[in-house]
Amino acid sequence: MIPVRCFTCGKVISTEYEEYKKRVEAGEDIREIMSDLGLERYCCRRMLLSHKEIIDDLNPYQ
Amino acid sequence: MEISFSRLDEDIARFTLKDATPAFANTFRRTMIGEVPTLAIEDVMIYDNNSALFDEILSHRLGLIPIKTDLSEYVRRSECSCGGEGCSSCQAIFTLSVEGPCMVHSGDLIPADPKATTVSTDIPVVKLGKDQKVVLEARAELNDGSEHAKWQSTLACGYKAYPVITIDDNCDACGNCVEECPRNVLKIGKKSVEIADGKLEDCSMCRLCEKACMASGIGDKPAISVKPDTERFIFVVESDGSLPVKDIMTSAFGIIKNKADSLVDVLNEISGAI
Ligand code: SF4
Ligand code: SF4
Ligand SMILES: [Zn+2]
Ligand SMILES: [Zn+2]
Repeated sequence: MIPVRCFTCGKVISTEYEEYKKRVEAGEDIREIMSDLGLERYCCRRMLLSHKEIIDDLNPYQ
Repeated sequence: MEISFSRLDEDIARFTLKDATPAFANTFRRTMIGEVPTLAIEDVMIYDNNSALFDEILSHRLGLIPIKTDLSEYVRRSECSCGGEGCSSCQAIFTLSVEGPCMVHSGDLIPADPKATTVSTDIPVVKLGKDQKVVLEARAELNDGSEHAKWQSTLACGYKAYPVITIDDNCDACGNCVEECPRNVLKIGKKSVEIADGKLEDCSMCRLCEKACMASGIGDKPAISVKPDTERFIFVVESDGSLPVKDIMTSAFGIIKNKADSLVDVLNEISGAI
């Protein structure tokens, strides 16, 4: 699961993840998506950039 | 002391604090970060959880969800008239009951107090598969950022000294400093270099302009010099939404005042005792 907040500054970034993922898959420029979503600081930007979602892989083994 | 806002929204403020000492500016910053209380989920009673997340991780995620706080309605549990047992003026209770397959969002937390709701309703908490479910009761309480970051009401909260840029008469408008400045603060004027309109506050005091000027062979002193003003500070305060920035600032000032008053009391007591 995407962390609820940015580790560094504490901004809630998890709310933007779904839209971010969709737009990345649609082939948009990542830099523009992030600025669009109001993620100004690089601490918040790396939260989305470096996230790997594994909940779907874990779910069968609960 | 004087504050002038260049921006004041619900969740971000930019202002200059004038006629203050560096010590006071830092006290103000630290108080806003660490001492202004907000609500955050502290205890979670889990009745059912067979999701892929452990109970602890689930509770931790719930704790980080910002909750709208009315500081006039809630007191800290340790200071409450109930003696710390937990009552409606020191606790905000939420219930959550969701069955998969679906995504559990912060909006699925149903508040007992309609005013103490989550700031955002679409923070993902956990993704449930088929036959998975989460049933729990969560209790939010008031505390501050020095206890745990989940109670911190501010995000980016900091200040810098106001930059003072002086340009000497011997500047020959060669433009070396203009090119070097990473924040585009400077521009070439008629006879000497000038500060671009409204750009002064963007200056980061990196002093690359001074170096560039020296490199242009001006002599042993650069024609431009950048110094911090030790009595004026540019602040940026951002809120996580639990409190409006204005409330964070006023309550921080209140806390500083109370602390100063109690210091005076203690000093009076000590000096009276001698
Ligand atoms: S100190 Fe740095 S940011 Fe400020 S004017 Fe000089 S080069 Fe630009
Ligand atoms: S580098 Fe020095 S001399 Fe050249 S424009 Fe800047 S301040 Fe003036
Ligand atoms: Zn951040
Ligand atoms: Zn109580």
